[in-house]
Amino acid sequence: MSQTERYLLTRANIEGAHQLAVAEKNGAYEALRKVLKEGIPYSTVIDEVKKSGLRGRGGAGFSTGMKWTFMPDPAKDPRPRYLAVNADESEPGTCKDRVIMQRDPHGFVEGVLLAAYAIRAQAAYIYVRGEYRLPHDRVKAAIEEARAKNLVGKNILGSDFSCEVYMHRGGGAYICGEETGLMESLEGKRGHPRPKPPFPAMFGLWGQPTTVNNVETVFNVPFIMNRGSAWFASLGTANSKGNFLCGISGHVNKPGVYEFSFGITAKEILEQHAGGMWKGRGLKAWFPGGSSCSLLKGSDIDVVLDHDSLRARGSSLGTAAMIMIDDHTSMARVMEIISRFYDHESCGQCSQCREGTQWLSQIFRRIAHGKGKADDVATLEALAKGMAPGKTICALSDAAAIPTLSAVRLFKDELIECVTRQADPLAVPQPHYAVAGGHH
Amino acid sequence: MALEANLVAEFDQLAKNYPEKRAIMMLALHRLQDVRGWLSPEALEDLAAYLGMEPVEVFGVASFYPMYRLRPCGQHVVSICHNISCDLRGAQDIVAAVCEATGAPLHGTSPDGKFTVTTVECAGACANAPMFDLDGVYHEDLTPEKAKQIVRSVK
Amino acid sequence: MVKIIVNGREVEADPKKPLIKACHDNGADVPMYCYHPGLEPVGSCRICQVEVKQGDAPARVMVACRTQPAEGMVVDTESPKAHATRKECLEFLLKNHPLDCPICDKAGECDLQDFTYAEGQDAGRTNEPRRELDKRKSLGDTIVLDQERCILCSRCVRFFEEVPKQAQLTVSDLGSRSVIATFMDRPLKGKYQGNIADLCPVGALTLKKFRFQARVWNLVKMASTCGECSRGCSTTVEVLRGADVKRMRPRENEAVNKFWMCDIGRFSFDRHNRSGRLQGAAVREGVQLVPYPVEEALTRLRDELMREKSGAWILSPWLTIEEGERIKALAERLGHAVCFVSPAPNSEKDDLLHTGDPCPNRRGLSELGIPAAPVAQALEALRGVKSAVLIGERIVELLGAGELAKVDATKTRVHLVDEYALDIPCVLSVYGVANCVERTGTWVNIDGVRGPISAVKAPPVGARSPAKLIDELVRLMPKLEKAR
Repeated sequence: MSQTERYLLTRANIEGAHQLAVAEKNGAYEALRKVLKEGIPYSTVIDEVKKSGLRGRGGAGFSTGMKWTFMPDPAKDPRPRYLAVNADESEPGTCKDRVIMQRDPHGFVEGVLLAAYAIRAQAAYIYVRGEYRLPHDRVKAAIEEARAKNLVGKNILGSDFSCEVYMHRGGGAYICGEETGLMESLEGKRGHPRPKPPFPAMFGLWGQPTTVNNVETVFNVPFIMNRGSAWFASLGTANSKGNFLCGISGHVNKPGVYEFSFGITAKEILEQHAGGMWKGRGLKAWFPGGSSCSLLKGSDIDVVLDHDSLRARGSSLGTAAMIMIDDHTSMARVMEIISRFYDHESCGQCSQCREGTQWLSQIFRRIAHGKGKADDVATLEALAKGMAPGKTICALSDAAAIPTLSAVRLFKDELIECVTRQADPLAVPQPHYAVAGGHH
Repeated sequence: MALEANLVAEFDQLAKNYPEKRAIMMLALHRLQDVRGWLSPEALEDLAAYLGMEPVEVFGVASFYPMYRLRPCGQHVVSICHNISCDLRGAQDIVAAVCEATGAPLHGTSPDGKFTVTTVECAGACANAPMFDLDGVYHEDLTPEKAKQIVRSVK
Repeated sequence: MVKIIVNGREVEADPKKPLIKACHDNGADVPMYCYHPGLEPVGSCRICQVEVKQGDAPARVMVACRTQPAEGMVVDTESPKAHATRKECLEFLLKNHPLDCPICDKAGECDLQDFTYAEGQDAGRTNEPRRELDKRKSLGDTIVLDQERCILCSRCVRFFEEVPKQAQLTVSDLGSRSVIATFMDRPLKGKYQGNIADLCPVGALTLKKFRFQARVWNLVKMASTCGECSRGCSTTVEVLRGADVKRMRPRENEAVNKFWMCDIGRFSFDRHNRSGRLQGAAVREGVQLVPYPVEEALTRLRDELMREKSGAWILSPWLTIEEGERIKALAERLGHAVCFVSPAPNSEKDDLLHTGDPCPNRRGLSELGIPAAPVAQALEALRGVKSAVLIGERIVELLGAGELAKVDATKTRVHLVDEYALDIPCVLSVYGVANCVERTGTWVNIDGVRGPISAVKAPPVGARSPAKLIDELVRLMPKLEKAR
């Protein structure tokens, strides 16, 4: 499939687009002006977004328009209501929202405002991962610029729509990218995900109706409002509409964040855009959408990148963050790192997740270091099945279990070989360095 | 010691953005850390007093988030991503290079107190791996040589 | 209320309470670690998995503590899927739990141990090193934390936040590195600390006073009521081999103390283990109190009381309503005055349980029509009569031995019924009395709720309950009845 059209990064690629003057010259806030000047009702915005087929870009791929309809009717429920924007991008392999915030913060703020308009929120909180200082500063500056031009704040552009937009910073905890963990953190607490129900639309920030949307999700909304849902729906495939930002990382010649329409194949992305595998090597395995989805074998690279096609291959689109692994790489090593990550990031509330992520990590580490035991691979599988699906408050436990199960399914022989040889045949010597406190 | 007067003014202003004062916690911890270098027990107590909370509650929150430093550190902090995308492209070599150039052990501080070196999980710069964060600024597409050069150029 | 089916039986359930409560109320033994009926459910330990079917949706296994009962819900706590899910969860909970049950004080009443026996797999699969943490971290004068045993249910953290409403503990760090901690290892404060040892579902939080004192299966436990203030918290008193009280714990009572008690009450049992208690009776002969058979001493007392119209009965507020009733009747027959000592409120009053009023049966005795007398007034009453009986545990403590020593022995003859003898000139006879863990009866708390006290151990040889003593005395007075 040939690429049809690009829109997401058009403005971002213009020098200085993070400044209001440049951004406005290139179309920023046009959709907001149109909606407010023409008095387009919020329900029409929701309908348009529903009709467009936009699905959340934060990993779960839920219909954005549908999510907005979960907010209670303000006529019946006059409580204050909030939009929380999830900019806590921390899924390994994912680095797309950063590009938006850093290079087109005004386009993003416009998206935030339109989303807030649709759900009739009087305030939007943008929760940016703490490490993203530059993206944070850029968006914060953009908000101030926009406020000075009456694009943010009271009676925006003379309409009766008022909305404050605030920046909030995380503290480096992956779990705060989970929407309820994010809300807890925003409230100034440990980022422990909340059991659901109640759902955020009824009981969100400070117990009030809240919608949580990802950066790239709201970023799409101005384009939909400008060019219409039919245009948006003309891009992509049956159930995955529009363009998406695809981060491609790992062993490729040209890693980067690219924009594609759904329907492109992973093979085309790898070969035509990412410059193929590095060092002329073959593709052994890859994650199509961040480390929390199932690994696919290199031979599965001909798959179309969209929600349905990846599900059919037993994986998922996730955040469309492709992590490419070459054929010189040890899968025991890969899983040692992936499992260490989930152990590091589990919030620790749920027993299965707290203990299970540590356990998986310990086993993968032993296998990768030539200390595997005969029943380790079977234990990995049993543990992962005990951790998911749906056994815990949030999906972090699932996120640790899913790649584990795929690794055990696809690379069982390799893992067992590490165990039987008491050494990882593909291990590369690691450099030495001192570690404080004696632990590595 | 109480909170610095300028921080109190800043936090008062910040608190207006939220329906509950406590919500400034994350931002306040960041600011306090920026100002004092690390979050000492006194810093946590000062913030707790300002927020009208128990110190143990502030401590519970601060200890949850890896970015908050509850121990003193060097003048400069190098946080090297060692998650998958970075590891695939040589993050371990970057760790070795930075440790060598700074003289600090990993998770420790150099004898001259200038650098603290640590690893972090995915910093969201996967397409520009490997990378590290030096005092809040990302340095990407690193090689061991480039990493050493950056560290050595720090005054 | 809604109708739901629990294990095949239709029952009523409160839709505002978690499903686990309906299960427990109807005999279904669903395990729980993070859930506690006195705290807000958080649904984190994931052990209380039950199978729930609602409408036409397929049955699902879910945590009962975060599920609200709904009309028509069908709950199976024993389905194979529920068992399998709980068993799985248990394996994770045991991953880092040390295998130190043989030296753990909680053994025998440990929810983790009990459930592992009931439902766990025979052998663990983990060979990974368990977490090595502080096994005896002092959290102040009351509590020791064994971080290795902790399963991070966070009940203790939430207790301080939700009940006394002042946070003292937190889960620090996160994930598999989480530990329970105070701020900077500061000691716990306040008088509700002991509750967290009861709340702890494993042996992570133990009472310093109970550590290595007894294996719990050797303790004889009886329902009782705390005597340290007029709240009268419902308690369980636990005695080792009929000798010492080893522990007093709150007993669930929604109307009084819910699940809690204060440390003043909890640790008040030391006084019940003291030696030197008065056995039988003694009567003053010349300058000293000489041991006497109780019946003979009582006979002499009877003679004096029947003769003496100027008499007063001064009661301890620890006396039960049964005892108060008997004494009042007797005093009225003898034409004597009667009152109970009402000491001044102490400074322990708080918003939770402690009333600051040290009299456990103030309301019960008052309802009998026995007037309360402040200490000074009681002493005055005593000095104003020729014969006085001071009766009930702590009566000397309340009136003050020093004050009693000032009583003019030539004007007032004092007879003392207490736990300890007081050898001062005005005291002509003494009788050993059973205290509130050695006799049965009823106290009425400040709100009018009756609380039992139980004889969980025997009183010293020859010591009697006040009721028994009065009964014996009355038996020696047949003529009195006829005279009336």
